[in-house]
Amino acid sequence: MVSSTEFGQGTKTVLCQIAAEALGLPYENVEIAQADTNEVPNSGPTVASRTVMVVGKLVQSAALGIKQTLIASGLLGDSYSPEEFRAACRSQVATLGSFRSWARYEAPADVFWDDDKYRGEAYAAFAWAVYVAEVTVDLTTYTASIDDFVAVQEVGKVLHPVLARGQIAGGIAQGIGYTLYEKVIWQDGRMQNGQMTNYIMPTSADLPPIRVFFEEMGNIHGAFGAKGIGELPMDGPAPAILNAVEDAVKFRFNSIPLLPEDIFEALVDREPHAAGRVR
Amino acid sequence: MTGFFSSRNPAPCDLSFTVNGEMKTVRAYPMERLLDVLRHQLELSGAKEGCGEGECGSCSVLLNGALVNSCLLPVLQAQGADIVTIEGLAAGAQLDRLQEAFLTCGGAQCGICTPGMILAAHHLLRRKPDPTMDEIREGLSGNLCRCTGYVQIFEAVAEAARRRVNS
Repeated sequence: MVSSTEFGQGTKTVLCQIAAEALGLPYENVEIAQADTNEVPNSGPTVASRTVMVVGKLVQSAALGIKQTLIASGLLGDSYSPEEFRAACRSQVATLGSFRSWARYEAPADVFWDDDKYRGEAYAAFAWAVYVAEVTVDLTTYTASIDDFVAVQEVGKVLHPVLARGQIAGGIAQGIGYTLYEKVIWQDGRMQNGQMTNYIMPTSADLPPIRVFFEEMGNIHGAFGAKGIGELPMDGPAPAILNAVEDAVKFRFNSIPLLPEDIFEALVDREPHAAGRVR
Repeated sequence: MTGFFSSRNPAPCDLSFTVNGEMKTVRAYPMERLLDVLRHQLELSGAKEGCGEGECGSCSVLLNGALVNSCLLPVLQAQGADIVTIEGLAAGAQLDRLQEAFLTCGGAQCGICTPGMILAAHHLLRRKPDPTMDEIREGLSGNLCRCTGYVQIFEAVAEAARRRVNS
């Protein structure tokens, strides 16, 4: 199909779902080739929440191309069984030698992107989200910890509920990590703390319950209405958490990671007698 | 056993232990990591090297019922031990209920932490067949996951516990 890379986010599953749905075939009947540009088209990088929305839409279009070609050549009726579909493909291959369908991305007419100045709309539609963090700041240890985290994520269309939720919860966990724990220390161009003993990421005991809710407003430019999904949940948690910390201790923090020593420094500078626990 | 502990005698030696119910004898340097012996000599590549310093838990295996980081364990300490790796959990094609639950609940994404995570969960459920959410969080806190945010891993463990309690 395409060269978008699977690294656990569910690309293979969802692209096969899209192809199956577009072809009117059971999911089990679709096989996806390895992401090797010797075999499949170069579908661009696996980044920026574009796989399902942009590449998925191309898979959908190419699959529809197959279906419409078979119907137009009289090999297939409007409704068909997987066996009839297979037979139609065999006839087409027998006649033509091979049977492939291609789709190429074209930006919608009303979407303009200037690649020289990096201005304009990169995508035809963007996802939306609301992130709410409930935070406790312990004024003995100056540690901020998150008690509860809620995300409402508008993704156009949820194509696979389990995988979609995994993308959101995982992104939020990474967002929480770089907000409260993960400090990269550079020295002479090298990361000084590149070990898990001194670069601290959240364990299962550090994270709050992450509650994910979806809204689906559709997107005519994405596969079956899907928008991007993976990146946004990494962007929103830090501001939500810093706002909650500000609400608790009435001090505006503007940088991350926010470690206990940063909170200590700010609050002790402000009021040397601060103690206790606020929420 | 004396030869194993002599720093003047770092030559390979024969070691025997049980892996997933089968007795194995390997010829290995005594201070070789159990992880390397499992992966390279015994071709059990389920245990993964994440950090290589005992922090992430992706190399977890069960050694005499205890959950250990196989990247920190010199193979000589496995002499005579009973080891279970992720490959020993399924019965042929029949997946363990934890593996099934990880599949249905979305407990695995990139998969590097998954073998260790499932063994940690297995170890937890043996001690606490019906764990609370806090016990699950605590029980898995030695195994790091970068992809999932742990939420669906917790759900998978709770689901596996339910399946056993109900069956």
